[in-house]
Amino acid sequence: MSEHLAISTTHVVVAPMLAALVTAVATLATRRYDSLQRALSLLGIGAYAVGVAVLTQRVLSGGSLTYQLSAWPAPFGISLVADALAVFMLAMAALVTVALLVYSVVYVDDQGQRVSYHPLFHFMLLGVTGSFLTGDIFNLFVWFEVMLMPSYVFVVFYSGPRHTAAALQYTVLNLVGSALMLVAIGGLYASTGTLNMADMARRLAAAGEYGIDPAPVLGLSAILFVVFALKAGIVPFQFWVPPAYRAAPAPISAFLAGVTKKVGVYAIVRLYFTVFAAGTIEGGLGLPGFAGDSFLAFFGPVFFVMALASMLVGGVGAVSRENLDDVFAYSSIGQVGFIVLPLGIVATVTDPALRTLGIVAALVYSLNHAVAKSLLFLVSGAIHDAAGTIELDDIGGITTRFPVLAGSFFVGSLALVGIPPLSGFFGKLLVFDTGGQALAAGAPGAGLALGGALVGAIFTIAYLSRAWARGFWGSVTPMVEHGDTSTVLVGVVAALALVVVAIGVGFDPVYAFAESAAEAALDTEAYVEAVDPEVVAHE
Amino acid sequence: MTQVILAAVLGLLFALGTYLILRKDVVRVVWGVSIISQAANVYLVTMGGLTGVAPILGHGGEHPVACSVPDAGSGCVTDPLVQALVLTAIVIGFGTTAFALVLTYRLYQEHGTIDLREVSAE
Repeated sequence: MSEHLAISTTHVVVAPMLAALVTAVATLATRRYDSLQRALSLLGIGAYAVGVAVLTQRVLSGGSLTYQLSAWPAPFGISLVADALAVFMLAMAALVTVALLVYSVVYVDDQGQRVSYHPLFHFMLLGVTGSFLTGDIFNLFVWFEVMLMPSYVFVVFYSGPRHTAAALQYTVLNLVGSALMLVAIGGLYASTGTLNMADMARRLAAAGEYGIDPAPVLGLSAILFVVFALKAGIVPFQFWVPPAYRAAPAPISAFLAGVTKKVGVYAIVRLYFTVFAAGTIEGGLGLPGFAGDSFLAFFGPVFFVMALASMLVGGVGAVSRENLDDVFAYSSIGQVGFIVLPLGIVATVTDPALRTLGIVAALVYSLNHAVAKSLLFLVSGAIHDAAGTIELDDIGGITTRFPVLAGSFFVGSLALVGIPPLSGFFGKLLVFDTGGQALAAGAPGAGLALGGALVGAIFTIAYLSRAWARGFWGSVTPMVEHGDTSTVLVGVVAALALVVVAIGVGFDPVYAFAESAAEAALDTEAYVEAVDPEVVAHE
Repeated sequence: MTQVILAAVLGLLFALGTYLILRKDVVRVVWGVSIISQAANVYLVTMGGLTGVAPILGHGGEHPVACSVPDAGSGCVTDPLVQALVLTAIVIGFGTTAFALVLTYRLYQEHGTIDLREVSAE
């Protein structure tokens, strides 16, 4: 009886994945029946959201849940781990993708939906969900591939000259990234003797006992970081972002910027702060500018420099673009800098409270960016639907012709800029708080971090107000004058704008959630305990 | 000796793949990508250790411990896990290569060329 109950509790871990998988297959099978396919697709995303909600509620009230595939004990089987960090990311993904799918049903033309849109959408969601839940590093590779393959097709979805060129660049780059990831994972397996992330953390903490040389592990984890940086679009791996986001349909640009990018961020937090943080190199790194002997002492400055570069490249890029999608794409590069910057700051500090704060800042900023940037891409899609263009010069007068769209854009922009009481205010506040506290604690480079974040924030204000002033205000252009769009599109956009406001106004539970997620990310012991890899004896 | 030869071959494969990816001809780029992913697969197999017998009980391995485990001793078996991993990676690589080739064809249809300089100049 109790055995049976135990099995049914952990099965909830796979509920969101099952919902996405079943829906993907069902929409593929029903592609000849338009209405049925759309109904199933919407039903599926509803089931996904319910699954995530139940899982989140269980994890937050009862602690981490682990599902061992086929009941093989860890580290021999494949573990799926739902801890507070994983469910935070899942909740974010569910929140955004529900809005995106409702929008897509109206936005994407009938032919496109019939061909492949719905199955691909759910397969991509499946890949994202698997990446968040897996406790096995090779499975992370597999879920990345599951997530990437639909995204290749989405980038080339419209199949014009521009789209094929963008898709080729995107595909080749990610295939090289996958090969690199395989190299890093193979090396990590050979040097640590395990693929299970919890087991790897346990072995790294007692490297000598298991005969692990930490130096190659550090190098291999650095190669792995390149792959995650590529997925998250951090400088210098950002160049694929603008063409790919421009080529993809608007709801998919929102998906890529809002959710898929966060998989890279999640992987960085999970692997570097939960798993590799356990590793140390005896006698320090012996490199100029790197102090301390922990793996994080190496990654801290790397995160830091790449985050600063992202904020600058994204900001400078976005202020000179002539097209809404380009502005948002470059803005995404800059905003990821804001997410990674607190991670870079706290990687080198030892104060646990400050480290938690930095991760909370990164998570809250991710949530804000996921919702606000999705909102902005959807506004751009609705404008394209109405006026047939998103060139800033051609979309004047949106404010008078489509006040709800313009108002939503305004809310989304203010959220990115960080105006209270919107969600972005707390994101920015926490990033600056992390920098300020690190400065007070005398962490090296904290002043530079604050300065860089300030410059990044000014760029954000500059490019968004430029888009507002040049694009939305001004005299009504003929395209906008004769344009018309669906109320559903405007409704979804307005609903997301309300979510941005709601997260800001009711920030207390969001903060508590992010804080428990950050604590889960930093508590390696609890993570190992949740997965419970059996100690393997070698006698 | 096997190790040296394999290391050299892997290095050559990665170098060849990188060289092809940097060419301006899209078909060569796709070749380069698939060579790099195959090189990664070969590399993955070597991570299981090059010595040892087949991991089948009663096949000379009365002491079924993977050779990659420290102090495995003689009669250890080759780690079978990496071969399972490679199988997965090969299947994924097959799918993505097929997609990349179709994409190359679409690129040719849309642009009338497979020269990347001409594609990006448009």
